[in-house]
Amino acid sequence: MDQALRAVADPTRRAILRLVRDGELAAGEIASHFPSMSRPAVSQHLRVLTDSGLVEVRPDGNRRMYSWRREGLRDAVTFLDEMWADGLARLKAAAEREEWPQRTRTGRGPIRPERKGTQR
Amino acid sequence: MSETNTGMVEQTVRIGARPETVWGFWTDPQRMCEWWGAVADLDPRPGGVCRIEMGGGPVMVGEYLELVPFERLVFSFGWQPTDGAPDIAPGSSRVEVTLIDDDGDTILTLRHTGLPDSVADMHAAGWSHFLPLLVAATDERRAV
Repeated sequence: MDQALRAVADPTRRAILRLVRDGELAAGEIASHFPSMSRPAVSQHLRVLTDSGLVEVRPDGNRRMYSWRREGLRDAVTFLDEMWADGLARLKAAAEREEWPQRTRTGRGPIRPERKGTQR
Repeated sequence: MSETNTGMVEQTVRIGARPETVWGFWTDPQRMCEWWGAVADLDPRPGGVCRIEMGGGPVMVGEYLELVPFERLVFSFGWQPTDGAPDIAPGSSRVEVTLIDDDGDTILTLRHTGLPDSVADMHAAGWSHFLPLLVAATDERRAV
């Protein structure tokens, strides 16, 4: 997840993602879009993208074909989903403490913050 | 109920407190910091600032857009540029919070919309810089 976010932080890698978004491309075809960049440099970017799960690669004869893996980016939204789930659980606990201070002090507790509504 | 659609986060939580109590946790800096952020600068009126510093540096910069006391609150959500992250777009996403009184409890629904639906969107909105910062901020919180 973290890797996917770091992978898209680079402008060249975002450009590669836009290239493969609409269809599969061979490594050489991708490299031809970056004439000022060495082949090893492009290969390195492709490796970061595949390691992060944003791009898929498959062999086709002696070529390596790259395509976009949509689920890779969905992970980013999943991350925010989890960020809010954590936050709202803390908000719930804090609001219940404020609403029911006497119950909290006597140890009986407010209505238990059962994690209703979040599935991971 | 939690749903992860493309481009949107929606969550609902039941809180054992009245909407009047819960409201304060979105509008009062001290209460806000009990659950989110280390320092909050909040001016809860339409157009008012909603700025929250996470521990460790990153700063959420937003603006209150709509406030219906104890019922509904909307603010824009973005990230302040920090070193190495110049083209962030505060205001590129939107958080909508609704509170419904249910027999003394509050049903809180949060919708975070305007999230990137594609890599191209991420680029356009500066999310590609924003998201790694969020990851860093959350990692720090988890490490504490």
